[in-house]
Amino acid sequence: MSAVRATRRRRYLFDRDGVLAPMMLLPSVVYIVALVAVPFFLAIAYSLSDVTVGDPSFDYVGLRNFRAVLKDPVFRRSLTNSIFITAVTMVLVLVLAKILALVLTRDFRGKWGVRFLILLPWTTPVPLAAIAWLWMLDSLFSPIDWTLRRLGLLEGNLHWLGNSKLAVASVITVQVWRIVPLAAVIIMAGLAAIPQDINDAAEVDGAGFWRKLFEITIPLTLPVTAVATLFGAVLVFTDMSVVYVLTRGGPVDATQILPTWAFFRGIQGGDLAQGAAVALFLFPLLLAMAVLILRSVRRMEVL
Amino acid sequence: MDSNSQASGWSRRRFIQASAGLTVLIACGKSAKETGGGATDVTSTLVQPSKKLSGDLKILQWSHFVPRHDKWFDPWAADWGRQVGVNVTVDHIGLADIPARAAAEFSANEGHDLIEFLSPPAAFEPSVLDLSDLNQEAEKRFGKQLALCTRSTYNPTTKKYYGFCHGWVPDPGDYRKSMWEKVGLPNGPTTYQELLDVGGRIKREQGVQLGIGMSNELDSNMAARAIIWSFGGSIQDDRENVVFNSPQTIEAVDYMARLFKATMTDEVFAWNAASNNQGLIAGSLSYILNSISAYRTAQTASPDVANDVFFTPPLKGPRGVALASEHVIPIYVIPKHAKNPDAAREFILNLVANYAQATNNSELYTFPAFAQTVPQLNGWLENDPYGSQPANKLAFLKDAEKWSTTIGHPGPANAAIGEIFDTFILAKMMARAARGELSARDAVIDAENQIKPIFQRWRERGLVGGKP
Repeated sequence: MSAVRATRRRRYLFDRDGVLAPMMLLPSVVYIVALVAVPFFLAIAYSLSDVTVGDPSFDYVGLRNFRAVLKDPVFRRSLTNSIFITAVTMVLVLVLAKILALVLTRDFRGKWGVRFLILLPWTTPVPLAAIAWLWMLDSLFSPIDWTLRRLGLLEGNLHWLGNSKLAVASVITVQVWRIVPLAAVIIMAGLAAIPQDINDAAEVDGAGFWRKLFEITIPLTLPVTAVATLFGAVLVFTDMSVVYVLTRGGPVDATQILPTWAFFRGIQGGDLAQGAAVALFLFPLLLAMAVLILRSVRRMEVL
Repeated sequence: MDSNSQASGWSRRRFIQASAGLTVLIACGKSAKETGGGATDVTSTLVQPSKKLSGDLKILQWSHFVPRHDKWFDPWAADWGRQVGVNVTVDHIGLADIPARAAAEFSANEGHDLIEFLSPPAAFEPSVLDLSDLNQEAEKRFGKQLALCTRSTYNPTTKKYYGFCHGWVPDPGDYRKSMWEKVGLPNGPTTYQELLDVGGRIKREQGVQLGIGMSNELDSNMAARAIIWSFGGSIQDDRENVVFNSPQTIEAVDYMARLFKATMTDEVFAWNAASNNQGLIAGSLSYILNSISAYRTAQTASPDVANDVFFTPPLKGPRGVALASEHVIPIYVIPKHAKNPDAAREFILNLVANYAQATNNSELYTFPAFAQTVPQLNGWLENDPYGSQPANKLAFLKDAEKWSTTIGHPGPANAAIGEIFDTFILAKMMARAARGELSARDAVIDAENQIKPIFQRWRERGLVGGKP
């Protein structure tokens, strides 16, 4: 009798929004606090201290690490590179993902096979993909160089990763390659959500492909495209695997970005405090991106 | 399932037979890839612990470049543990992952009892045990430790041993004899001037470049130091004062810029630690600075190439100085959080006592820190048990200690030197001058502007001596 009463009480408890909602949210909150908030505040604490990899004792040094970091030309180069690589990558991703999404929403034979192949880069672990690209861009055995030589377009080797401009281009290419599938899938979802009667009405009114594209498709998928772009930007901006595997920031510091420089300075070099200060410069930019993402999502809901 | 497999002609029995056959073939293939031979005049010794040991001993170390070493080391360590009552676990990770893994363990204040670094871990001094007693005990038992090993583990400012160096690896020049023979130097270059003049000729006449890296990686770091030292420059003096910006350093950087223009291509700016090995074996490079690992790889992968690979001691600079850095230097530290420091100490002493096995199983890659522990070494170098053609190809390494030094030369390998090493400041400086971004003088000033604050920070933490 008492067991039945207890079960009923438990059921009533779970029926109350005030209990069930926090319980459902709790795992996410714990996850975010443990893996985002704690490391973030730890990084702030480290950046205001003289902590090293071998000496975790905490002595407050104020903003000294930030002043030192701002004077460092490698840091300034890393910041510029991070912004440049992310911006160029996302412009290319936007254009290519849009084209891909438009193609993949059309009906053609083998569509599902093509969709599967296009999604493969997104499912490949980033370091593994970067290693594969490292071989593709190898100074001696690059199959790209081999193909160009066979076609009579090249003599010798291009040294993709040894030339500053080509190295930056290589990093951007790999980032575009891995982000385009995600962006394309998100945009495809947006395209699928456009009511067919709008397109039908436009066709009846005599609108062609380009007019429909610029006056219906792009405006109606703009919020979802913004989400795809901004998600991609966050992924590129915070990624260190591609640069670490391909160039380790070289040649000289031509491809050095904030995450790799924070790693080299803080973990490899041992100066954890300065490494944390470098990494924290990612925060304001990521915050701006997060605000834009949330605003885009809200706009999408309104639509 | 069965009907399908039978329909395709594959019974379960046949599948198992085929799998077993394939496994045997793979195993044969793997063993065939190892260099044959090995020394037979090596005995095993058990050093009785000075006190009763028990519990677990967890060791973290790199995956050795020579696979044979780890195949020997892991069961050997476990066997030692069984004999003294300790359960030994050895975890291997990649060379480049050690600093990050160690940093995580020190930060968490738990992890392995013994961690092996491949470059001097001076920055970890506050979190590791002072091993002065162990180093003294080892010298009592095994004789004087090599100076370059001591300078890689002893901090004269704090007067502590932050680690124990049990071995080191020489870093000679490796060259393709057939290419140098054609230009009249069958024994390879002997001076940096010769490397510039004749290396340029080989590139012009044979289309093969030199392979001295200027990238963010280990070999480029070592090469930059070797050239600066051989020209008479250095980062610090023997009392840890920064003396980097000197006419000698500028001369070395200017030389590197000229060497690049005459003998190399852009690829050296993007290399990783394996690139020069690959280039030498592929016949795309005429001369590299590296350990004998590239050669050992060639012995198994391409014996004809291996027979064409020969070595030079470090090249002489303009005033006759010829120095090379140790290639890697294995150093154990015992973290303060270690749960079994006694077993860790005894394990190290036992390893040193059996170092002939370590050197032999590393295929003569790792040399001993205590020379008398491997009395066979000179004999092995005269008659390589791993099948060099000619057998005395490695004999020049008999006096490698005389021309090798630590990365802090002429001072200790302190924490500032470590940070400069790990942020590739010298390799990047060489690259800046070679690429024409800065003059040699400005490249040195630019590097000095990064070096001095690093020294200052570590001095403020009390780990580095010298004057501000």
